[in-house]
Amino acid sequence: MDVWQQLIFLVEGVPLTLSISLISFLIGIAVGLPLAFIRVYEKEIGFIVDAYEKIFRGIPEIVLLLLFYFGLGPFFPIPFGNALFVAAFVLGLRSGANQSQIYRGAIRGVGDEQIVAGTSIGLSKWRSIWHIMIPQVLNFSTPGLGSEYALLIKDSAYVYVIGLAELMTRAIQLKSIPPGDVVTPFVIAAALYVALTFPIAFWLDRWGNKRKKKLGL
Amino acid sequence: MADFVMEAKHVYKAYGYKRKKLEKTPDPQKCVSSGSAVEAVKDVSIKIKKGDIKLIFGPSGSGKSTFLRCLAMLEIPDRGEIYLGDECLTNPGVDLNKARARIGFVFQHIYLFRHLTALGNVELALRQVLKLPKEEARKRALAALAEVKVLDCVNKYPSQMSGGQAQRVGIARAIARNPDIILLDEPTSALDPELTGEVIDTLRDLASEGTTMLIVSHEMPFAREVADEMIFYDEGTIVETGPPSLFFNAPNTDRAKKFMTRIINRTTKE
Repeated sequence: MDVWQQLIFLVEGVPLTLSISLISFLIGIAVGLPLAFIRVYEKEIGFIVDAYEKIFRGIPEIVLLLLFYFGLGPFFPIPFGNALFVAAFVLGLRSGANQSQIYRGAIRGVGDEQIVAGTSIGLSKWRSIWHIMIPQVLNFSTPGLGSEYALLIKDSAYVYVIGLAELMTRAIQLKSIPPGDVVTPFVIAAALYVALTFPIAFWLDRWGNKRKKKLGL
Repeated sequence: MADFVMEAKHVYKAYGYKRKKLEKTPDPQKCVSSGSAVEAVKDVSIKIKKGDIKLIFGPSGSGKSTFLRCLAMLEIPDRGEIYLGDECLTNPGVDLNKARARIGFVFQHIYLFRHLTALGNVELALRQVLKLPKEEARKRALAALAEVKVLDCVNKYPSQMSGGQAQRVGIARAIARNPDIILLDEPTSALDPELTGEVIDTLRDLASEGTTMLIVSHEMPFAREVADEMIFYDEGTIVETGPPSLFFNAPNTDRAKKFMTRIINRTTKE
């Protein structure tokens, strides 16, 4: 295979890499936001959040991927027999633990005076959090979220252990096609990873800062 | 129909003690957890009729703000009863969110929602609490903003407004729901003198429309002009109440006398 063919073969894996990281990023938001607010505002059950964060930040993704896919997959083929599901699920839960910490700082940064103002107009505490805090917390978190997304793009490479044909899996496959070029596929893959992570992190950071300035956050 | 828009009976609120113990013993000093308990509100009662304008004043740190927050149930009193019309808000099981929707609250430090424009700030309660349709909410929000004369800020974010504009938006946010009563916690004390004037003008307009208001403030000329009753509050209790004429001529208590002298001297020096 010449370089062009290799490039095309690898680029065909990009949509899957992007899907895995995007879905797990969204799962991370859905998990991380509630965890962060529980940790800050429901102190009595905050230890559950701490335990969750310790566990998912402490175990290597590769262990979790193997455990869920090969360990649970045979017993619960739905949903753990599906490699894409396991990939997004594992990376999403891990990202939730990371994002929870990002949001926690942002919640402290926004402050809780506006929740008091929210309750004063007749919203409940949790509806104040939904309507008032979450939009600001997400905005406040943009730099951290940018690097978290970059991390997910990179970590999606681990998924090759459960055989999803994303970017990394394809690079490894190319290596074993004669004559066995071990340099070009990985150089191309490395360039593609940079191209996927850098613009999004950069754009999020810039957009976030602009908006923060506008709102005086 | 209740005689009063809002009534508080023997409200008590303290900080820095173990709350569970307080339920068993009536003496908060016995359940102090560390240092000493601060008793911000000690057995305070107040009655407010429709159309009343009452003004609370007194030294800072005396518990005025805490008392006001208790009335709006933004702080839950340790003891005592608070009535909004016929409804006792301190009863367990009362829907406090519904009750708070009928109370307007204006904060000293304004606390506008920073991610929303002036219009968004006022609309939020109309849409999400009163559940008004979009058109109607917009109409009422604009009417409230017009009333406090900040129509030029409709699409501005709080960070783009002056302090006076922001506080008037804060007032619009409180009045847009047509609450039964508006509680104002030192609405001008975070503003510089120039901006104070425009907020006071807004309050004067509200007063002339017969809005029921309880205001914590030290704006004495304003108090003299609009207040039906002035309440001197110190060390967690109401020390003296009476019409403005009483306080401006000869208050009965020494403490009120001293405080008035100091405040009037300060105002004339300016």
